Amino acid sequence: MDPLVYILDFIVLVGIFSIFSLSLNIEFGFAGLANFGKVAFVLIGAYTYTLLSNINVPFYLCLIAGAIASAIIGFFVSLPTLKLREDYLAIVVLAFGEILKIIVKSEGWIAGGVWGTPVYPAISIAGSSTRLDMAINIALVYVCLFLSFLLLQLLTNSPYGRVMRAIREDEVAAEALGKNRTRYRAQVFALGSAIAGLGGGLYAQYLQFIDPYMFAPMLTFTIWIMVLLGGPANNWGALLGTGLVQLFDRGANIAKDYVTLPIDPSNLQYIIYGVLIILVLLYRPQGLLKESQVKTKAVESIFNGRGFAKNRRDQ
Amino acid sequence: MVNWAQVFVNSGITGSLYLIGAVGLTLTYGLSKFPNFAHAEFITLGAFFGYIVAEPLGLGLPPSLVVAFLATGLVGLFCYRVIFQPLSKKGATIIHLMVASIALGLVLRYSIGSIWGWEPLYFKTSWPSFDVGPVRMTGLWIWLVFVAITLSIIMHLILVHTKIGKAIRATNSNPELALASGINIDRVILATWFIGAGLAAVAGIFRAANTQIWPMTGWDIILPIFAVAILGGIGNFYGSIVAAFIIGLAENLGVVALMALGLSTSYRIAIAFIILILTLIIRPEGLSMLFRRS
Amino acid sequence: MEEVLLKIEGISKHFGGVYAVNGINLDIGPGKIWGLVGPNGSGKSTLFNTVLGIHQPDEGNIYFNDRCITNLVPHQIYDLGLVYTFQVPRLFQALSVLDNMLVAGRGHKGDKLLFSLFFRKSWQRKEVELAEKAMETLKLLKLDHLALSPAGELSGGQRKLLELGKGLMASPTLLLLDEPAAGVNPNLGRSMFERIEDLCQKGLSFFIIEHRLELLFDFAHWVYVMDKGKIVLEGKPHEVAEDPSFFHVYLGDE
Repeated sequence: MDPLVYILDFIVLVGIFSIFSLSLNIEFGFAGLANFGKVAFVLIGAYTYTLLSNINVPFYLCLIAGAIASAIIGFFVSLPTLKLREDYLAIVVLAFGEILKIIVKSEGWIAGGVWGTPVYPAISIAGSSTRLDMAINIALVYVCLFLSFLLLQLLTNSPYGRVMRAIREDEVAAEALGKNRTRYRAQVFALGSAIAGLGGGLYAQYLQFIDPYMFAPMLTFTIWIMVLLGGPANNWGALLGTGLVQLFDRGANIAKDYVTLPIDPSNLQYIIYGVLIILVLLYRPQGLLKESQVKTKAVESIFNGRGFAKNRRDQ
Repeated sequence: MVNWAQVFVNSGITGSLYLIGAVGLTLTYGLSKFPNFAHAEFITLGAFFGYIVAEPLGLGLPPSLVVAFLATGLVGLFCYRVIFQPLSKKGATIIHLMVASIALGLVLRYSIGSIWGWEPLYFKTSWPSFDVGPVRMTGLWIWLVFVAITLSIIMHLILVHTKIGKAIRATNSNPELALASGINIDRVILATWFIGAGLAAVAGIFRAANTQIWPMTGWDIILPIFAVAILGGIGNFYGSIVAAFIIGLAENLGVVALMALGLSTSYRIAIAFIILILTLIIRPEGLSMLFRRS
Repeated sequence: MEEVLLKIEGISKHFGGVYAVNGINLDIGPGKIWGLVGPNGSGKSTLFNTVLGIHQPDEGNIYFNDRCITNLVPHQIYDLGLVYTFQVPRLFQALSVLDNMLVAGRGHKGDKLLFSLFFRKSWQRKEVELAEKAMETLKLLKLDHLALSPAGELSGGQRKLLELGKGLMASPTLLLLDEPAAGVNPNLGRSMFERIEDLCQKGLSFFIIEHRLELLFDFAHWVYVMDKGKIVLEGKPHEVAEDPSFFHVYLGDE
C-alpha cells in the first residue's frame, strides 16, 4: 500500500476514534456514567447514515440524522437505570448493544443483514485519486472533531460542567444542593450518544461498507482503553489516548510481519490491552493527563488574584 | 402443533443451566458490590478444563465436572486476590472494578483463544436420547438437572448449617455487623469467589456439551445469567433459583412465540433482556423481597 | 403574630410498623437559632429527612413560607431556600473548594445545558457574583487561602466548615444543620457557633440538631426535645435544662 495513503488512513481513523473517545469521556470521565455499550450508538449512527445516504439524502443531513437517532435511542435506553446505581446502566447498555447486533444480523432488510451493505462516501469527486479522497475525508472528519471538541470544552468549562462533575463525585450531596441528577444524566447520555452517532456516520462513509461484525463489544472496549489511558475528565487526554492506542495497534500490525511470536499476534494484542487496562487501573487510574479543572472567567480571575485584590483593598 | 410438554421440560433444562451459571455471579456481585463480567470467561474456562479431562484423558462427565470446578475455582480465587482485592483496597469505584473485570475477561478469552484456537471444539461423548411419552430427553440433560438440584441442596445446606455458610449470609446482609461479630470477612469473600467460579465452570461444561466449546462459550449465555442474577435479587441465592426457572420458561415460551410470528430464533436472547429491563423499571431489587433472610 | 418560616404539622413516619416520628408539631421562625435535641434513636434525623423530602411522611403536612412542601423532592426544596448540611460532610472531593461553593449556588441559569452553551455572557456575570460571594464566605470561615485546593485535601475540621459554607451559598432563609459541632475540637465548635450567631443576626434562621448540649444551649433561642418520636419538652434553653423531665429523657426511665 502506498505509504502516504497508509499514513493518511491512520490520520483519518485517529480522527474518527477521537470523536468516539470524546463521546465516552463526557459520559464516563465527566459525568461518571459507565457506558459499556458505546458501540451500540456508533452502530445506530452508522446504519442511519447508510440507510439515508442510500436514498440520496445529502451527507450532512445523514450525519445529523445519525446523531439525533443515537441521542433519542440513548436517552430511552438509559432512562430505566438513571436513578439506580451505576452498574445497572453498564449492564443494560452492554446488553442493548448485543441485542442491536442481533437485530441487525437477523433483519436482512436493514442494510443487508449479515452480508452488510456498501456505503457511499460523503463527498466524492469524479475521477479523484485515493490520496485526494483521503484528504477530503481528513477535512470532513477533522472539522467534525473540531466542532465536537469545542462543544465539549465549552460545556465542561461552564456551570453545567461543574454540576455534572459534582453529581459524579457525590450524587446525594448534589441533590441536596438542588441539582436534579436524573435530568443531568439523561442529557449527558443523550449528548454522548449523539456524538458517537456522528462518529458512526463518518466511520461508515469512510470505510464505504458496514456489516454487523464491525460493531462488536471490542470496539466499546477499545474506546474505553483510549479514555482510561489518556485520562478521564480531560478532553485532551481523550485525544492523547486515542492517538497512543491507534499507534500501538498499527505498530502491532506491522510487527506481525516482521516478528514471529509463539502466540498469534491478534490474540496477543488483546491480551496486552487487557493487562494494560488492569495495570492502569491499579497504578495510575487518573490516566496520563489529570482531570482538567473547570475553567471559567470567574474562577480564573480569582486564580489571578483579582478576588484577593478586592479584599486587600478593604483592609 | 406445539409440543407443550417438551417446551415445559426444556424450560426446566434451560433453567437448570442458568441457575448453575448464575449462583456464582449473584453471590460475588452481592458480596463485592460489582458485576463481574469475567464470569463469562469462568464459564468458558470450565468448558475447556472439562474438555481437557474428557477428551485426551478419556474420562467421563463426573471427573470433568470436579476438575473443572476446582481448577476454575482456583483461577477465580487468584483473579480476586491479584486484581479485585488490591483495587478495592486502593479505593476503586464500582466502575473501575467493572472495567477491570472486562479487561480480565479479555485476557482470559484471548489466552484461551491462543491456546486452543477459535474454531469450535466438541465433546466426543455421545449422549443417548430417549423418549418419555411425548418428551425427548438426552442423558446429558438428565445429568444437568440432577447436578442443578444437587448443587442447590448442597448450597442450601452450606448456607444454613455450616459456619462458612452462615458467615456468607451474614456478610451479605450486613457487612459491618458481620465484621463486628468477628467473622473473617476476607475468608468469606475468598470462599465465595472460589465457589462462584467453580459453579460457573460446571455450567460451562454443560453448555459446551450441549452446543460447542469455543472461547465465546460463556458470552453466549452471559446475558440471561445476568438477568437471573438481577431478577433473583443480587446476592440472593434462593431468589436466583426462582429467577432461573422463570427466565428458562420465558425463553422457551418465547421461542414458540418467535416461531409462530416468523421471527428469527436468535431473538431468544432478547427475552432475557426484556425481563432484565422490566425488573429494573418495576422493581430493581428483584425477587429478594420474597426471600428476606438475616 | 410571630412569623413562621417552617411549620411542621402532625408529621408521622413509620418504617415497617415502628414509628420513628410520631405526631410532631413545631414551628420555626425567622432570624433565630432553634435547637433539636434528644437521645439517639429519638427520631431527630428522620424528622429532618422527612422535612427535606428524602422520606415521604405517612401523616401530616409541612409548610415552608406558607407553601406546602410535604411531597416535594430534595432538589426542589433546596430551590425554595430551605437548605441542609450533612453531619458527615459530603464534599465533592475532586473539585476545588471554590468549585464546591459555586456548585451550591441557587438559581444559576448556567446550570442548564443550552443556556451554558449559548448565553455565555449572561452566566459569566452571575458566576462572578457567586465567586465573590463564595470568597467572602470562605474568608468568614477562614478557608479562603484554600480556595483552589481540591476539597479532598482538607482536614476534618476544615471539611465541616466548608460543609457549612456550601449551605450558605444558596442565600437560604432557613438552614438545617445536623450536628455541626460533632467530631470537632471544642474551640472550633464554639467558633462555629459564633459564626452561626453572626449569620443569625443578619437574618438567617437555623434549626440545629446537636448533641453538644453545652454549646447549643449557650446559643439557641428555643429548644425542642424529642424522645421516641415525639416532642416531649420545649422552651428556652435554661428552662429546658432546669426541667426535671429533661434528665429522664436522656437517661431513660426505668
